[in-house]
Amino acid sequence: MLIDTHVHLGRWPFTFAPDYTAKQLAAHLRAHGISHALVSPLDAVLAPDPLPANRALFSAVRRLPALLPIPTVNPALAHWHEQLDFAATGPLRTIKLYPNFHNYRLDSHRLSAFFTEVQKRKLKLIISVRIEDDRHRYFALRMKDVPTKQIAAFLKLYPKLHPLVVGLGLPNVRELAKLKCENFSADTSFMEWLESISTLVREFPARRILFGSHAPFFITEASLAKLKTAQLSAANRAAICSGNAKRFFGL
Amino acid sequence: MRAIDIHTHPVCFAKGYSRREADHFADLGLAQSIKRMVSLGDVLVFGARPNEKQIRFINDQTHQLMRWRPEYYIGFCCLNPVLGERPVLQEVERCIALGFRGIKLEISNNARDACMKPVMAAAARWNVPVLQHTWSMTNIKQRRMHSDPEDTAHLARRHPNVQVIMAHLTGCGYRGVLEAKGVDNLVVDTSGGFPESGILDYALQHLGADHIVYGSDLPIRETGVTLQRTLAGKMSPAEREKVLYGNARRILKL
Repeated sequence: MLIDTHVHLGRWPFTFAPDYTAKQLAAHLRAHGISHALVSPLDAVLAPDPLPANRALFSAVRRLPALLPIPTVNPALAHWHEQLDFAATGPLRTIKLYPNFHNYRLDSHRLSAFFTEVQKRKLKLIISVRIEDDRHRYFALRMKDVPTKQIAAFLKLYPKLHPLVVGLGLPNVRELAKLKCENFSADTSFMEWLESISTLVREFPARRILFGSHAPFFITEASLAKLKTAQLSAANRAAICSGNAKRFFGL
Repeated sequence: MRAIDIHTHPVCFAKGYSRREADHFADLGLAQSIKRMVSLGDVLVFGARPNEKQIRFINDQTHQLMRWRPEYYIGFCCLNPVLGERPVLQEVERCIALGFRGIKLEISNNARDACMKPVMAAAARWNVPVLQHTWSMTNIKQRRMHSDPEDTAHLARRHPNVQVIMAHLTGCGYRGVLEAKGVDNLVVDTSGGFPESGILDYALQHLGADHIVYGSDLPIRETGVTLQRTLAGKMSPAEREKVLYGNARRILKL
């Protein structure tokens, strides 16, 4: 069983990555041995309000049980309560944040009421720190990836929250380890070095690593290759492929 | 399937320089059908502009890899063109005598600069390819030392008798592919960045399989990932053979 924790549905206007329909995406993932995928709507990243894209996503995947919809929430907008109400109707009771695209700092005090409410509602949290290589970002999108120090400040501010942080690279994980941050999990999509996953497991607890392909931005076969060629114990392989995601999301 | 990896750094930032590590690096490649690897050297270990002594040190390390595994590693001679004509020509001559098969240029200068003239003259004289580090400078404002695809394409057009390899397809991006289009003596290697969808198919459409060569940028990247991102391209088996193996074999005269 393979659970993919980092997938988007929709078109990204700055690349020629495939623009799958929900049905095509499900077929694509199935063809690559991915049994379930956590899918977020790309339209919500650039839209002024993520709710319409979230509703469209829920509708698109209604008859596709392999695609588990994860709504995007923008806590910088005044109607975040309404966004959380909608998110709570999702099968995984999980929300996804894009701080750099939505123009807020994770550690900002103006968001403390929001994160308090997330904890009160027992919603699970995914934080996207990047969805593309900033060196190739469309030149008019003048933004930076979410800084690792900001993630660290956030993790220290909310020690009881344990988010899945997607888009971290190995250097970011090392920096978070130096800053004594342990209350987070990470996906594999942006982890790349010689023998990526074996290297990561040597430095980071396997129980906090979840497989993420970052389809359709990244080539799914390539993301899978890291797992297939990794020298891992059977237990660690099972944990990264599906066990950790099952535990994290209560699947 | 068989492949030649035209873009690797077995020694990278002073790590990997031992017989054991060289063997491990080669064995990882062989296990995934990489028949040969081009070692470009530890090109940034002394910063962007290594001096003569440092250049010799980098190339001597590459030569040692070639001696440890002569059937596997192919050396490219790392240069700093800013050092001037005499040191550049001396180092190329020394490396060619040691069996190196190409020239590697990093970020000492821009590919348009006048100091490139003796480098390209040496490449023409010894009939060896020049692999130029290239990345889109749209967001990275360092064009004084880095080369944009536009600069590398310009270099190739200016020296039509030298085979130029534009490094980092993904870093060059869609605009870079269009810069490389129609330049007969230019190929683009598939290395650079994450395994982004779409870019290889775009390159195949605009450049054709004859102008693309497989490269990984190991150890910054992983062989399985870089191979799969190449194999996922929409290619016929004949085109795949060219991209993974045939083009590099032709360029390296193997």
